[in-house]
Amino acid sequence: MKNKLFKMFALFAMASMILAACGGGAATPAASAEKVKVVIFVGMGTGTDPDQVDAQNKLAEKFNTTHDNIEIEFLIVPHEEYATRYLAMLSGGNAPQLVGPNGVSTVAEFFDTWEDVTSYIKADNLDLSDFYGPAVELNTYPDKNTGLPLGLYPSYLYYNKDLFDAAGLDYPTHDFDDKSWTMDKLREVAMKLTLDKNGRNATDPDFDPANIVQYGYDDSWDGMRGTLADWGAENVGRPTTADYKTAVADSPEWIQGLQWLSDGIWQDHFIGGADVQAGRDSAGVDPFGPGTTGMFYSHTWFLAEGLHDLSFAADIAPFPYNPKGNRIARIDADNFTIPKDAQHKQEAWEVMKWLTSPEVIVDVCRIYGCIPARKSVQAAFLEQLKTDYPGIDYDVIFKSIDYLDKPNNEEWIPEWGKIEDALNNGLSLVYSGTEKDAKKVLTDANAEVQKILDEYWATHK
Amino acid sequence: MNFSSGKRTLSLARREALWAYAFIAPWTIGFLIFTIGPMLASLFFSFTDYNIIDSPRWIGITNYVNLFHDDLFWHALGVTFKFAVIALPLGMVFSYTIAVLLNSKIKGINIWRTLYFLPSVIAGVAVALLWGRIFDPKFGILNPFLEKFGIQGPGWLSDPQWAITALVIMSLWGGGGNVIIYLAGLQGVPTDLYDAAKVDGATGWQRFRYVTLPMTTPVIFYNLVLGLIGTFQYFTEVYVLTNGAGGPARSTLFYNLYLYQNAFKYFHMGYASTMAWVLFIIVLGLTLLIFRSSELWVYYEGQIKGK
Repeated sequence: MKNKLFKMFALFAMASMILAACGGGAATPAASAEKVKVVIFVGMGTGTDPDQVDAQNKLAEKFNTTHDNIEIEFLIVPHEEYATRYLAMLSGGNAPQLVGPNGVSTVAEFFDTWEDVTSYIKADNLDLSDFYGPAVELNTYPDKNTGLPLGLYPSYLYYNKDLFDAAGLDYPTHDFDDKSWTMDKLREVAMKLTLDKNGRNATDPDFDPANIVQYGYDDSWDGMRGTLADWGAENVGRPTTADYKTAVADSPEWIQGLQWLSDGIWQDHFIGGADVQAGRDSAGVDPFGPGTTGMFYSHTWFLAEGLHDLSFAADIAPFPYNPKGNRIARIDADNFTIPKDAQHKQEAWEVMKWLTSPEVIVDVCRIYGCIPARKSVQAAFLEQLKTDYPGIDYDVIFKSIDYLDKPNNEEWIPEWGKIEDALNNGLSLVYSGTEKDAKKVLTDANAEVQKILDEYWATHK
Repeated sequence: MNFSSGKRTLSLARREALWAYAFIAPWTIGFLIFTIGPMLASLFFSFTDYNIIDSPRWIGITNYVNLFHDDLFWHALGVTFKFAVIALPLGMVFSYTIAVLLNSKIKGINIWRTLYFLPSVIAGVAVALLWGRIFDPKFGILNPFLEKFGIQGPGWLSDPQWAITALVIMSLWGGGGNVIIYLAGLQGVPTDLYDAAKVDGATGWQRFRYVTLPMTTPVIFYNLVLGLIGTFQYFTEVYVLTNGAGGPARSTLFYNLYLYQNAFKYFHMGYASTMAWVLFIIVLGLTLLIFRSSELWVYYEGQIKGK
């Protein structure tokens, strides 16, 4: 009896093993057994478009043919699955060796999972002076350095020259010192660019807000922190004080910025509301590409995503001065990070160095649309920009770096995801028209953020 | 069977039982490993502070206490109940009505049945994307259709007042599975009951009210229980349509979506496990309530009341 039972379970065990083996496990080819494999997890941000996938595979080929001890492989994960896939890999003991390109936001989202690379930098005596200062700062936290900078994505206005011409308006100034270029001026220009189906602009008393066919301005691709970071609050893009213990999302500057947005949607009508965004989302188009938005506020990464095959002439211009007379232009940045639980971290570090080296960083940034974080390659990158995106004012890109938001609008705060959701719920209230009073929205959001912080600090020292 | 050899052998019944266990073993093992195992693990996690990255830390019933002080927990529960209260009865009436119509003898009935069943075989993600386009106020087909009747369509998925209604409409479209079950129930009603009712002078409505409806209560009961569980597990469509945010303005923050956010966005896996167990208890309670009530309204042919 026991013998038969044993045989029976042995058969099941064997069958299970056979099935498991057929289940797509990572069978390593014998030929690559001598090389250490470094899997690069792509999907936290950009990098998943088909063109980018091809370019990354070519980059992997370039690395693999020039390195004897390490082999790299890009693991492309759909952006909407990045969190679950990454966490599943971590909890399954199968952490990728490298993750990237990561924005400041995804570095913050998974902050506790990253290895501190300070010791690697020291061990190699790596000179960081070639990197732009802000790029290094965005990776440097009090208790860890999350990775070597790859690129920066400064922000500025993309504008549709044809719509300006049709409206008989001057293009936005490209002069960074022109202090007449303010948020009020932007509003004025944007209203003139906004048209209803009868061709009347938003300054016309007979303008029909129910039938708008063209909007003057859009900044709908960013969250609350990004939208309000440029308005000159003391904590700029961070909704808390520096010790992360007190919520300051209801600062006068943020209220002013959100009210400007709310009025722009519901009173002056030069910004599309939630309906307009939903329409674009379901049609799979960006705010700028269809040619019905005069000015779109976005980052360098939009060059790669949105500045191809446009049916109209476009250029870029600096973001305006805020009401306090300062210019802040929020910035995004990318790096590669090593998960704490990854195997072969030393090899991952070698790959990270290679990807951000002066010899390779231009190619990598061309894939992702970032400005290389190294100053020494700026001239080479500029030549590439001229080839890839002819006819735009490249000075605007590089000069905008000087106006970055610090503290950054994506940087780590306690309970990062929860606070982001609380704030973005407020933004959703405004965009949907549920609540048009910015003070009410931000007072409520601030109370929610404070509650989240209090709960966090009750269990953390 | 050779009893004289002195070797111990099994009786036929025991051998059959062993073979039965052998055949159900793959499922049983899978059930234990992939269902019971994670359930027990989640029960354990629900009493811990667990962020996926670090080891779970035992905190007793803290998660359960915190849950009842969490405004968003109550909000998400409210959204789910609101959806259930509207979508469940409406869906059942709609599916039942369609099934009654599909049970009639009309030309091309098989084509109609196929057409109504077809949506239910489409995956939830595809359904969500499709309806996202249909609901689009500018490029969708629903609002222009309403405009033909002089109705200004709302921003279905961008207006917090209308988002749940939009999801209810979407859920009705996928009711083909229920229709098939109702249809099977309707076709199982003995025709002699209708003949007898006709002889007694019953009208069409009376035949439906006093024959069809009571005789199909077991399938109504079945669909009600499954529908209730499905409604409380509502997730895929709203996740796809709102990019996992539950917007606009948290109007579609369903219970499971909030649970997901806690697990995979805020990394509060212990808290999310607590939410899962509380949901299990809520659904179990409601299901038991329906089972209890079934004694009053579900009629089984051949059942003797009181036994």
